[in-house]
Amino acid sequence: MGEMAIEVRGLQKHFGEKQAVAGINLDIAAGSLAGLVGPNGAGKTTSLSMMTGLLRPDLGKVRINGLDVWADPVAAKAVIGVVPDQARLFERLSGAEMLEYSGRLRGLPAAEARSRAAQLLDTLDLAADARRLVADYSTGMRKKTMLGCALIHNPSVLFLDEPLEGVDPVSGDVIRRLLTRFTGSGSTVLFSSHVMELVEQICDHVSVIDKGLIVANGTTDEVRGGKTLQQAFIDLVGPRASGEEGLSWLGSSSS
Amino acid sequence: MARLFVQLKLRLLRNALISSTAARVSFVVSTIFACLLAIGTFLLLANFRGSTYSVELTSAIFTVFAFGWLFVPVFAFGLDGTLDPATLALYPVRTRRLATGLLAASATGAWPLANVLGLLGVIVGLGHGPLGLLVALVAVVLQVLFCITLARVVTTGMAGLLRSRRGKDLAAFLFLPIFAAYELFFQVVPKLASEGGITAASFSGFDSWMRWLPPGLAAHAIQDASDGHAGTAAARLAALAAVVAVLAWLWVRLLGRALVTADTSTQSSRVRGSGRARTALPLDRFGLRGTLAARFWIYQRREPTSLVFWGITAVIMVVVSIRLILGKNATPSALELNLVIGGLFGAAFAGVFHANTVGLTGPPFAFEALALTGRRQLRAYFSGQNIALGAIGIPLLVAMSFALAALAGHPAFGFPAAAEDLAGLGAGLGLASIFSVALPYPMERRAGTPMLTAAQGYGSYRFGDTLGVLLGTGVLTSPVIVAVALTNADPAAVRMPVLVVCAAVYGLALAWAGVRIAASAAVDRLPELCQVAIHSKA
Repeated sequence: MGEMAIEVRGLQKHFGEKQAVAGINLDIAAGSLAGLVGPNGAGKTTSLSMMTGLLRPDLGKVRINGLDVWADPVAAKAVIGVVPDQARLFERLSGAEMLEYSGRLRGLPAAEARSRAAQLLDTLDLAADARRLVADYSTGMRKKTMLGCALIHNPSVLFLDEPLEGVDPVSGDVIRRLLTRFTGSGSTVLFSSHVMELVEQICDHVSVIDKGLIVANGTTDEVRGGKTLQQAFIDLVGPRASGEEGLSWLGSSSS
Repeated sequence: MARLFVQLKLRLLRNALISSTAARVSFVVSTIFACLLAIGTFLLLANFRGSTYSVELTSAIFTVFAFGWLFVPVFAFGLDGTLDPATLALYPVRTRRLATGLLAASATGAWPLANVLGLLGVIVGLGHGPLGLLVALVAVVLQVLFCITLARVVTTGMAGLLRSRRGKDLAAFLFLPIFAAYELFFQVVPKLASEGGITAASFSGFDSWMRWLPPGLAAHAIQDASDGHAGTAAARLAALAAVVAVLAWLWVRLLGRALVTADTSTQSSRVRGSGRARTALPLDRFGLRGTLAARFWIYQRREPTSLVFWGITAVIMVVVSIRLILGKNATPSALELNLVIGGLFGAAFAGVFHANTVGLTGPPFAFEALALTGRRQLRAYFSGQNIALGAIGIPLLVAMSFALAALAGHPAFGFPAAAEDLAGLGAGLGLASIFSVALPYPMERRAGTPMLTAAQGYGSYRFGDTLGVLLGTGVLTSPVIVAVALTNADPAAVRMPVLVVCAAVYGLALAWAGVRIAASAAVDRLPELCQVAIHSKA
């Protein structure tokens, strides 16, 4: 196994009585395209927030490229890019302004930030809408803008929380190709998703999280164990109660 | 259909009562205010009995109500689910039946009832004799129908816009005239009335053209009937009924169209700039501080809430100073001090409005926090914000001070007021930076108001921030106020420039101290500030 880009040890977080993350351990090798999958409320977003320095853990350590996120946040944050689950964009900036702002915040010279912003807008198929306010963007355009903001400073590790939720297939394909190209150059991606087919298709490493714990971890083939990832996932986390017995009327057009 | 919609409205009201304590309190307070409006309006209209100008004053009151019905539903579009035709577009109901139901829904609730009961005061104030009383009843009903149909035409015609970002911006901008009108009626008018600046006779000119508009038609019909001119009264009522009929027809047409028309949220705006992606952020030569100042500067211009905050600041300065200015009895030194106090309030409120920058910024703050981790960068954050706010606040407050001084007939008094503006802005913004870190709270946009407010459970935080900045600004700028008072007899040529320069330097020092303290505190609290930001719905 190569050098580790992401190392998580005993990460825990409580919200009042509820234990959102119950002590997870995770190792993602540099150059990996890793998926973090789990049902709703499993602790994916909480874990990613703690890994990226946005939520203080109760216990545990996170190292990115050997840098301790919570002991040296300045250095660790400099090497990561984050696409959160919900839009955290400045709605009253245009797409071009948003990307340039992101680059300049990350310390890029203004001209370089502007140039990279233009290239990213082209790649993400947003150039025609570059001067529209983010407030008027669709969900897919927002996701692509957030991805552009996360990439503009060329991070070595990229965290994405549900990057393809609400994204149309064409935009999804653009994002998929960009992520594959990004990891092809040796950078690392960790993303959470509900879409098993996507994870199965592009990830070389999968971690399954349920009730705040990692219940399976390894290469995609190891976690699948000869089944589809969807089936393996359901076997791991268990089926949820359906309560369909009470819908006997459904499907009848008589009333 | 009417019965169904009335039941729907009553169910919505009942659900408000049982949903949460805050909603219950809000409902009870709203109902109490509606009762007060009904009683107050009734007594006011009844009190016009025997007045030479009773019909003019009644016209004015009817017109105020019409404007209320015109503006408030636009402002509170999200509050009443029955105002938006899009929520009903899926149901197989014919437009006319839908219109009847919506009309009944509009007339249901404490506020419409308060309108009817309050306006019935004309029976006492303006109506005389059996015919006068009968016409008064009909006129009140027609006036309320006019208000309801007018409101429905406006909200239905603008439904697509009101649902979109631009509509929400428009509603936010409406907050300013409503605030200004509130201050005018409750602060300025009582003062002017008590000093004889406004009398009943002031409304005679107003009535010469108002009598031909629907509210005036209603009021004059009552008077005509009371004076025995039954024909004229009937003609006026017929004209008013025709206006209501036309509005109702227009409303049904608009409703039919609104049910099958896309909203305007798909029509987006572009920012100015040359070339397709060449919309460079300004201040690109000034490093991180310039970058942050550029972002804050753009937001000050494009975010309606920011513009409304500055508008309110200006209104507050006017309200604080106008009483003495219009009083004509104040001594020059009292006037000067009053203008200085006006500057203090303006500056303090500029600080209050920005005393929770994390909550105001909302989730995008977490995006900034990923890049701003060191003490130096956080200093750049707060000072960048202050540069943008100062770029608007300083010229605005100074211009307001000089304008008010000119209105008072002492233009030179603008200098000491400007000195207070500069020191006060420094203190207010410095304290705003500190409170943004020390007492941050999530903000949200609740249904019924386009302005951001503290999230539920954080009212005490807001109160603490407001009180802290107001008192702190007062205490920190007290040396300037004392200096203005003590140097009153000194030559103006020396006193004015010294006061302004010293206050500016003092204000700058206060703002800088605030930035340093806030940055030092924020460096260890960034994750907690991020959580506040993420939980905001700004």
